[in-house]
Amino acid sequence: MRTRKFESETKPSLVPPIVAGLVSLVLPGFGHMLARAFGKGLTLFLSIVAMTGLWIWRVRLEARREVDFLAMFQKSIQLRPILLIILILIVLIYLWIAYDAYKTADKRKKPKSGFLWLLVFISFFLLGWQIGEIQPATLITEGKNSFPLLSRVLWPWEKAIYRPEEYLTGYAEVVIPCTEGVELEPVVVEEGDPVVTITPTCGNLSEIDGDPGTTLTMTGSGFLPNTETEIWWIDQVQNKFRHRAAGDYVKVTTDENGSFSLDVVIPYRVIPATNEEGYVVWRLQGSQLASVGEPVPSEELLLAIEKMIETIFLGMMSTIFGIILSVPISFLAARNLMSANKITLAIYFVVRFVLNIIRSIEPLVWAVIAIIAVGLGPFAGIIALTIHGIAALGKLYSEAIESIDSGPLEAINATGANWLQLVWYGVIPQIIPPFVSFTIYRWDINVRMSTVIGMVGGGGIGYLLVQWIRLLDYRSAGIAIWFIAITVAILDYVSAEIRARFV
Amino acid sequence: MLEIRHLTKIYDDGTVALRDVSFSVPDGEFLVVIGLSGSGKSTLLRCINRLIDPTEGEILWDGEDLAKLKGDDLRKVRRHIGMIFQQFNLVKRSSVLTNVMAGRLGYTSTWRSISGQFSQKDQQMARDALERLGLTDQTDKRADELSGGQQQRVGIARALMQEPKMILADEPVASLDPVLAHSILQHLERLNKEDKMTIICSLHYLDLVQRYSTSVIGLKDGRVVYQGSSADVRNITDAQFKSIYGEEAERMGGIVGELTTEEKGAA
Repeated sequence: MRTRKFESETKPSLVPPIVAGLVSLVLPGFGHMLARAFGKGLTLFLSIVAMTGLWIWRVRLEARREVDFLAMFQKSIQLRPILLIILILIVLIYLWIAYDAYKTADKRKKPKSGFLWLLVFISFFLLGWQIGEIQPATLITEGKNSFPLLSRVLWPWEKAIYRPEEYLTGYAEVVIPCTEGVELEPVVVEEGDPVVTITPTCGNLSEIDGDPGTTLTMTGSGFLPNTETEIWWIDQVQNKFRHRAAGDYVKVTTDENGSFSLDVVIPYRVIPATNEEGYVVWRLQGSQLASVGEPVPSEELLLAIEKMIETIFLGMMSTIFGIILSVPISFLAARNLMSANKITLAIYFVVRFVLNIIRSIEPLVWAVIAIIAVGLGPFAGIIALTIHGIAALGKLYSEAIESIDSGPLEAINATGANWLQLVWYGVIPQIIPPFVSFTIYRWDINVRMSTVIGMVGGGGIGYLLVQWIRLLDYRSAGIAIWFIAITVAILDYVSAEIRARFV
Repeated sequence: MLEIRHLTKIYDDGTVALRDVSFSVPDGEFLVVIGLSGSGKSTLLRCINRLIDPTEGEILWDGEDLAKLKGDDLRKVRRHIGMIFQQFNLVKRSSVLTNVMAGRLGYTSTWRSISGQFSQKDQQMARDALERLGLTDQTDKRADELSGGQQQRVGIARALMQEPKMILADEPVASLDPVLAHSILQHLERLNKEDKMTIICSLHYLDLVQRYSTSVIGLKDGRVVYQGSSADVRNITDAQFKSIYGEEAERMGGIVGELTTEEKGAA
């Protein structure tokens, strides 16, 4: 800005205004350069080149199948009208640049370029909108479909409890086909179990594409009231199948007394008796699913608790390793301790440089590297967080050392104390509060990060969370999310408390 | 008897802080060093107990050249030279007692001091020092909970723990209001008169200099430009004053109490 002003006031344009304008029509921005507004010309040139390039890219992307560019253009405009608006803006900017170059070269008139820059900004904004595939409408149209899923995530606790269930059954026996002299032994019913009776107690099978079999009347009592009951056929060697009528499983719902009555046609499916026996005994069973005993924590809940504990300790261990390794490094990275001579100063710069590089690489990337090195599991996560923690804590610690007050050190030196006494009485009391504060802050970060690290396989609850999300088990995922949120909130509070106490 | 001979200090960046400074201080003096900021007062005081290493010259104290001391010998001499500072230089987060005990470090083995096992005698000494400075109630407070005047008294108590023969005071009252300034200087005066300690103190205000000093030296640009007794300072001339504080300086209050030209204009 400063140089442009300077140039426009003192140095005349190299070319007449009309030439600057024409040059800009050929090469946008070059007219400004000739008019001694080099920076502005270059910026405009790069802007319009970038815009046009991005626009062409998006047009080709939207109409990939078309070969001819014109067809491509028509197709893409049809699909995304916003591309047409952007094109109009680009043309407008192109013309405006030429006009602006003309004005810039004309010494008497100062061009007002504010609107041109606004157009440039709007074009980039619209390009960004298109590239980002921003569609706010989907938030409303698609978003409402997610409510059932989201509600499972928000309130997942049904899944946290498991009620053990058992089948409540009662049966009676049928002889097929009816055979003279076969006496069925009475079914032993224990106290409290359901009772089933069948009349008649014998009958014939249905025939395929033929006569229906004998119709039995099955009555049950002592079942759970108002509960769906399944009907099963079971033979003497415990082969079983569910009774069907017209292809569907038969279900009967008990009345308020726990009783039901049902007509059952003996299906053809029931295995006929061999010749030697002449008959076969089948059981007809009514069966209800009933919860028994006290509700217990579900497997998912226990797993989430286990992994949450793993996560907290993952964070703790990486913090401890981070402290142990970063404390000595922080002394090497403290300028006030290392500026004594050129060698130590060189060490200082090298250490700082390495710490900066390590810190600029995300823990997630370190986790992927660690997983390659030591395999999946919490150890990889600990390595990743430790490496990143060393760099982060090293910087914070060294800054704490750099900012200690040298006055007390001078005073303690003046009493005739030796070096160790100086460190113990002068340095340590000053660096403990920031060290404690940074350490707890780091623990906080590490626990939070370890949930993310888990997603790539570095152990902890994150791994579980990703698994459950991929299995579309949103209730279990919800439990994991709740645990993470609760833990982070507690940790946040505790760390704030401890820091307030120490600083 | 402290004798400074041809003391010169040139910092690494080339700043000359002291140029060929020579003077002597008999035992039991209350020597006040005056001069502008940057005239070398702090450097001079810090050269005496070697917080700053002088470039050239001798610092003879009872015949021993402090400028040549190193390591343990230096620490043993430092034990006998207490020092108090403009910013008090207490460890803010440590208790008053810990700060005071720090004065005893030179007499205590490393292990005992780190584990905090000071002898009964030292602990009694600390109680006495705190009582003498009226800090008994503040013993267990953190140093930064105290007011400025109290903090400076802790600084004096710390110096007292060294059983010093000499106390260096680097602008001890520059951060305090006038009432507290007198209180602190009265403590120093008592140490000077009752305990026969040599005091070397840098001060800004001439009225304080006249009130407390037994002798005065003036520094300007690292050179001694004025030497006199307490009586001489009372009768300091304008020429002498300007030689210390520069041609631009005008004396305010103090003895002459003339208005500056600007103030005349404003009035």
